[in-house]
Amino acid sequence: MTASDRRATQSQQQLWHELMQFYIAEAWMLDERRFREWLDLFTDDVLYFMPRRLNVHRHELHRELSEEGDLAIFEDDKTYLTMRVDRLETGMAWAEDPPSRTRHLVGNLVVEPVSDEVVKAKTAFILYRSHHETDENIFAGSREDVLRRTDEGWKIARRTIVLDSNVILAKNLSVFF
Amino acid sequence: MVAVNKKYEVIDPVTGELDRRIFVDPDIYAEEQEKVFGRAWLMIGHESLVAKPNDFFHTYMGEEPVILTRDGKGELHAFLNMCRHRGNRVVRTDRGNAANFACAYHGWTFSNDGSLEYVPGEEEAYYGGLDRGSLGLIEARLETYAGIVFACWDEDAPTLSEYLGDARWCLDVNFNRLDNGTEAIGPIKWIEPLNWKAAVDNCSDNYHVPTTHLSTIIVQGRHLGIPRLTHEQQFSSTNRHMFVNGHSLTMRFLERDDQARQTHGINPQNREMFEDYYRGTLDEAERRLGALRARRLQLGNHSLFPNGVLGLRLAHPRGPMETEFWHFVLYEKDMPKELKTALRRGSANYNGVTGVFEQDDMDNWRGVTASGLSRVARKYPQDLSMGVGRAGRHPDLPGTVSERYTSESNQRNFYLRWQQFMNAESWADIPLEPRTMEYEGTATIRG
Repeated sequence: MTASDRRATQSQQQLWHELMQFYIAEAWMLDERRFREWLDLFTDDVLYFMPRRLNVHRHELHRELSEEGDLAIFEDDKTYLTMRVDRLETGMAWAEDPPSRTRHLVGNLVVEPVSDEVVKAKTAFILYRSHHETDENIFAGSREDVLRRTDEGWKIARRTIVLDSNVILAKNLSVFF
Repeated sequence: MVAVNKKYEVIDPVTGELDRRIFVDPDIYAEEQEKVFGRAWLMIGHESLVAKPNDFFHTYMGEEPVILTRDGKGELHAFLNMCRHRGNRVVRTDRGNAANFACAYHGWTFSNDGSLEYVPGEEEAYYGGLDRGSLGLIEARLETYAGIVFACWDEDAPTLSEYLGDARWCLDVNFNRLDNGTEAIGPIKWIEPLNWKAAVDNCSDNYHVPTTHLSTIIVQGRHLGIPRLTHEQQFSSTNRHMFVNGHSLTMRFLERDDQARQTHGINPQNREMFEDYYRGTLDEAERRLGALRARRLQLGNHSLFPNGVLGLRLAHPRGPMETEFWHFVLYEKDMPKELKTALRRGSANYNGVTGVFEQDDMDNWRGVTASGLSRVARKYPQDLSMGVGRAGRHPDLPGTVSERYTSESNQRNFYLRWQQFMNAESWADIPLEPRTMEYEGTATIRG
């Protein structure tokens, strides 16, 4: 391994480490219900997107995810995402009042630099949610983010969340992914 | 209360008292699968979901798994998803394109027109004696209204046109405005822990909006410039609720005749685009629907008996205390792409499993459902007395019309309709209101 290869590897490891810390910090924000802070992780032109996951045969796996332009489960711009957070603060968003107890476990990070300022980052997650007395959900899936480097650190410019579910076995998706 | 001779008397139309057991009792649930879902015309999808020959879309009629197909000749069919041999499902995917469906158990293969085409070992194992002609997929009756597909198991049921009756006069205002018709996208599917009737009756419940949905009303005002509902609008507006043949309908009278009809995706940035579009379609809509319906009326919350919920959205029963919800979005095909995007995003943000309106409904309907489990609560019926005696005929609107926009008239009538189905021996015992409205314009039930 040449010196320049070593430097490249080191810088990749550095980036991976930096982004892993970013995702760990994000998970704590969500689980500690610091949603206003969480909202600041997104750029103003963000698309927070969760396509539908279809049940298809193996030879049609290219159709497994609904495409952009088809109906998605989430397709929020910053305004819609902000409304979701603002709503919680009214004290009358009954789906989350009393609030869910969540635990976001995020890992399996893969980083793909696009340019000096932009990276793609893929993670897997398990989200446990407990609500009211005995309601429980476990959501598993992947997230693929486009991250932009800004003066205030990394910001999420696009998040695509893919749930490992066809029919969602939950009364609602009032928690964040 | 449920009497011994199995004659259901669950709702008192004079006091509005409703028996809570209809939401939780497994025997009542089993019976309604037969007597309500086995008899009624059920919404199952939209023609655009099977646009091309050999397309199929997997759907449900109540609990029954059903394949909606467009055969090679372009004809639509609704088949029970069941191999005639042992009963396995022949389709296991959400949708696709296939000329035939092969059962994964023994290989019996059915054409998408329902006929049994191929049986492995037909000559040897069955000695050529199998009557393939009588072993096609079980087919339901199928009819469409403005592209929306309905199916029905009961040979004695009236036509879809008679079943909808004057409800269509109201529905046309949303679903049948333009020559090019509508297309459906979706659905988003999720399971709610509640009885399907609690979700359907809420479509007539304007009373809950300022309480259940206040958080969203506040933030929509802040971010989208949508004005707060006033006490006046809520309780004394001239808008009306109607009830026809089991179907609940709300009509709003528009202030201006070119007001945009769909509001879910409207925000200050795209309001002009919406209004331009509607203005540009008014003449065509008037030719199809007449001036009153094209220019002055807006369809509000509505449900189609038994389980159609706010447009092409379905509440499939999955047991007394479980309902699988399907959220589709309908566009008018003529809408420009940017308008479709705004509607699609707005609709998913508003309703559906993530919707900021709909997510607040679930625990209410679940609470209503679960109260039926309580032995104490059962002694105290639900109170649906709002507006008793305050509904009747209206000179300009069909069906039974409530005097006020906020009234429980439609909920009482919904449970009375349910009771008519449950007590009927056959369709001969189920009354239908005659059509009374003038269907001005050129629109037909087929679009």
